[in-house]
Amino acid sequence: MISFGMTEEQELVRDGMREFAADAIRPIARECDENSAIPDEFLQGIWELGLTSTQIPEQYGGGGEDRSPVTNAILLEELAHGDATLAVAALAPSAFANAVVDQGSEEQKQKYLPLFGGEKFHVGSLAVLEPRPVADAMLPRTVAEPKGGDGFVLSGVKSFVAFGDRASHFIVVARTGENVEAFVVARDASGLTISEPELNMGLKGLTTVSLELERVEVAAADRLGGEAGCDVRRLLDSSRAALCAVQVGVARAVLEYCVPYAKDRVAFDEPISKKQSIAFRLSDMHIEIEAMRLLSWKTASLLEQGIDATKAAQLARGYVAEKGLWIADNGIQVLGGHGFIREHPVEMWFRNARTLGVLEGTIGL
Amino acid sequence: MKVMVCLKQVPHQDARLDVAADGSWIQEDNIKFEINSYDTYALEEALRAKDAGEAEVVVVSIGPDRVTQALRTALGMGADRAVHVKDPEADASDSLGKAKILAAIAKQEEPDVIYCGLMADDGNFSAIPPMLAELAGMPSATGVISSEASDTSITVRRELEGGCREVVELPRPCLLAIQTGANQVRYASLKGIMQAKKKPVDVKTAADLGVGEQVGAGAAKVKINKIYIPPKSDQAELLEGSTDEIVTQLVGKIRELGVL
Repeated sequence: MISFGMTEEQELVRDGMREFAADAIRPIARECDENSAIPDEFLQGIWELGLTSTQIPEQYGGGGEDRSPVTNAILLEELAHGDATLAVAALAPSAFANAVVDQGSEEQKQKYLPLFGGEKFHVGSLAVLEPRPVADAMLPRTVAEPKGGDGFVLSGVKSFVAFGDRASHFIVVARTGENVEAFVVARDASGLTISEPELNMGLKGLTTVSLELERVEVAAADRLGGEAGCDVRRLLDSSRAALCAVQVGVARAVLEYCVPYAKDRVAFDEPISKKQSIAFRLSDMHIEIEAMRLLSWKTASLLEQGIDATKAAQLARGYVAEKGLWIADNGIQVLGGHGFIREHPVEMWFRNARTLGVLEGTIGL
Repeated sequence: MKVMVCLKQVPHQDARLDVAADGSWIQEDNIKFEINSYDTYALEEALRAKDAGEAEVVVVSIGPDRVTQALRTALGMGADRAVHVKDPEADASDSLGKAKILAAIAKQEEPDVIYCGLMADDGNFSAIPPMLAELAGMPSATGVISSEASDTSITVRRELEGGCREVVELPRPCLLAIQTGANQVRYASLKGIMQAKKKPVDVKTAADLGVGEQVGAGAAKVKINKIYIPPKSDQAELLEGSTDEIVTQLVGKIRELGVL
């Protein structure tokens, strides 16, 4: 049997993150969006919640608690209910750290994981996407050529790299002949050029950059997983599960904003929630959120059990991205003229939903 | 040093409250609960004492199964262990009965300081802190907005009317009833939440504590006869004019009613 009941621990995580999102995330979301920046104090504050360090093994300086993709999905939905940008920012360090925990060599774990166990905010980033019209992350144009017996030479361009302005290291996905591998590249590596912040439609507070790799030399030991290499699909599956949870949180925020608005907004002598066109729309939004969450949790559950989650992740990613955008679009429609003015947050959530829809696999591909 | 924090779980501030059919209390089915807001400040004050040095923080609550979540939240925030008095008869106690239960726990735990919230968001009695202090034989201070401990005493600032403050020194052991806004309450960290499940929660009944005969509905000196939502009225009359004129009119109306 499948149980959707949360454990006591998951309920505590949900409630704790919900409180944090309401108190510390939602109130600064608009400011971050308008300024295209996230305050250092926020990053430090959320760092102290231990979202990244807690699930790093103790021998590498972490909290040593079990990592649960399902619990992380619950957590991310709550943070994203406060704001997607700040939720992605909060969990960005985990994308790097978890990749090293899951697939790094012993040497890499000892070298990089202690960076994420300290008291100060620290971030590393995944560099997967590329600025070209091919959507398959498993077909990167960035190449890693063997370097005379020891190491590799990386060449290519990566885009939409989160926290590129702060990250100490990047995990760069590149092709090695027929295979796709990942490599840890330090931000001060010779030949690596980090662009100015990209100008984006949504998730504006989160600084993203392009990386230009011009014959960047890395040692063989810098290949994620060392000699054994890594499973890049697994990296992507985890990332996609996380993005799905974020999008569920955004969609829930939209619905929960629209329902009281529709009950309060009067047109033609009655609240618009009494109009079937609005009531059915809100009902459909709710149904879709439930479906989005189920697909998201299924992917997370497979990851938690160590079962191949690639198909589930791709199905969830496509559905959640499309319906998340549909819900945000309908949110604007429910608010009517209020939907597109900045006095209300729904236009910001729409831009964020639109941006989440094109990260790591566009809708319909 | 050992500190004890008394927590009450109350209906969530956003919960929709309906009066129970018998009018004795609100309907508690299907509503969310949270830690009483005053008690969160008390807990934070205790955790700061822990942060400042060697201190064990024991959180204590009385109530049904759902109270476990409040205690786990407190453990997630940094408390070391919990005592849960799970006893339907104890739940039916009045403030004095509950103070006796807490005093019995204090007798066992022998804390150097007991932290309470100044009052509860639901009942607003403000009764238990001074009752507990008396029963435990401790000096107490209410309305505390900050505290500073030395080896043998605690110096506190209290909030008085009209924006005044009072500085009081109490010998330990003592009880402090904390005002809201006294500090910035921390959030439970992910690590704290995950470690909370490993921390001990000691479940007891009033009988276990030796006060079974002294508590419960039968021993209660205060009984809630009914709670109700006052009916809405449209009979308000707005008085107009200068302040003197309004006061004159108001006094006249009070006299008309025969109150003066």
